[in-house]
Amino acid sequence: MNTIIIAKNLTKRFGKLIAVDGISFEIQKGECFGFLGPNGAGKTSTVRMIHCVSPVTAGTLTVNGLPCSIDNRTIKQTTGVIPQEITLDIDLTVRENLMVFSRFFDIPRREAKKRIEELLKFVELEAKRDSKIDQLSTGMKRRLLIARSLINQPKLIIADEPTTGLDPQARHLIWQRLRQLKAHGVTIILTTQYMEEAQQLCDRIVVMYQGKILKEGTPRTLIEEEIGKDVVEIRIAQDQDEKLIGSLSEFSCGHERVGDTLFFYCRDGHDIRKKLVELDLPNTVHRPATLEDVFLKLTGRSLIE
Amino acid sequence: MNLSYRIYHVFVRNLVSYKRFVVPTFIASLVQPLFYLITFGIGMGAYVGLFGGKPYLYFLVPGVLMSAVGLTASYECLFGTFVKMIHEKLYDSLIATPVSAEDAVAGDIAWGVFRGLISGTLMMVVAMAMGVFPVSLPAVLLLFVCMIFVGVLFGSLAMIVTSLAPNFDFFNYYTELVLTPMLFFSGVFFPLDNFPAWMKTFSKFLPLTPAVSISRAVFSGVYSTSLITDFLFIVVLEVIAFTIGVKLMKRRLIK
Repeated sequence: MNTIIIAKNLTKRFGKLIAVDGISFEIQKGECFGFLGPNGAGKTSTVRMIHCVSPVTAGTLTVNGLPCSIDNRTIKQTTGVIPQEITLDIDLTVRENLMVFSRFFDIPRREAKKRIEELLKFVELEAKRDSKIDQLSTGMKRRLLIARSLINQPKLIIADEPTTGLDPQARHLIWQRLRQLKAHGVTIILTTQYMEEAQQLCDRIVVMYQGKILKEGTPRTLIEEEIGKDVVEIRIAQDQDEKLIGSLSEFSCGHERVGDTLFFYCRDGHDIRKKLVELDLPNTVHRPATLEDVFLKLTGRSLIE
Repeated sequence: MNLSYRIYHVFVRNLVSYKRFVVPTFIASLVQPLFYLITFGIGMGAYVGLFGGKPYLYFLVPGVLMSAVGLTASYECLFGTFVKMIHEKLYDSLIATPVSAEDAVAGDIAWGVFRGLISGTLMMVVAMAMGVFPVSLPAVLLLFVCMIFVGVLFGSLAMIVTSLAPNFDFFNYYTELVLTPMLFFSGVFFPLDNFPAWMKTFSKFLPLTPAVSISRAVFSGVYSTSLITDFLFIVVLEVIAFTIGVKLMKRRLIK
């Protein structure tokens, strides 16, 4: 595999605010690369620099060897963007939205018509082709944004929180489509706050927090390295902590107290499960470790505003 | 400045969306000049008597025509652009394509010019129905060229305001304190001859004044060399306003 995107000490500042703080990463052709992080972590600022709508403050950033800059039309010509906000043209119909967009990429009319039919089918909006945008549900609008991002047959797709605010059906349809695109060799960059989404789609992820990359890896290795295999959640009063931690110490699990819950992170949860049955505690949850545990461990469980 | 032929794509986008607004805007573009010409031209004209040997309507038409072009282009680049930028987030999706921020803004100015030309043309039709004609066909062509330049000038000036506007209300300062008073200081409704000297000098530097002079010459057939200076003044002002307008808009669009 060869590299499509290289970032070295990439920095973005808005006045005094440092949105992206000297991060470095490489993205390979054909992979799905995820930026995870809470609100304000710098995910969107990073991808906006990649698709050349936001200038790089410092450091270097290249796509296919071309330096990213506001005026780099070549990168924009071959990149598809699924924006976080719904930026459809509300004065136009579904079809007109795609038609007008195809012009911006200099796609010949006849070719554009053909592609639009295919794309409407791809996102299951054929029946809505002449509808106005305000007659669409949020899920349909998001699907139309996907169709729009594909009009120029991009080799690189940037999906900035593509399923925010969607119901499970719509979300799964979008995941399906993104996986289909990946199967066709398209490189996908995803930003998300949904750990399930990252686990479903991404080959590799980075966890961002306060403009920095905290960890990088595949979802599986990150979970195993940071958390282990199993998580035990015990809702129990805090004064019981010491006793409980003592009686579970033989299993060498990491533990953490958050609010009303004591968490144990374990390499192998088999034995601890037996012990828990022995102790016969109420309100105990034993489950496999997820990316969400990694995320919360790295970025903290307290609210981030 | 990163301008390209893609200005045209942005213009076409506006044209496609315009289909839905054609009827109301045509009615507005017709009724407004009619209102001016009937109230001022016929109503007030009866008291004013002859102006340079011709009815007041002949004095009024060229000025109102140019202000219609300027105002229409202004409103399009104020309210129209602001809605597209803030409410519809249209610019955000535009600049993610090979269309540059400069293309997008210039495309919207071009659109404002087109809307201005529609207003000006409708106005001319109304004027001709009332018996006021430009002197010759070349004169009409000259008028159209001038209308295009005035459209770009006012569209660009409006872009400067839009690039700084935090909200809709901000536009009131510009429309009420700049555009509307400008009509009275640019010789649209009455000649500037009786103004004190300083006011005459002030008027000379307003962007509408030279346009009104050229328009009036086209309708009266009385040309003078000062029209060349008038035209050059418009062009210079326009280049400056366009450059500043596009740069400021780019600064607002790209963060």
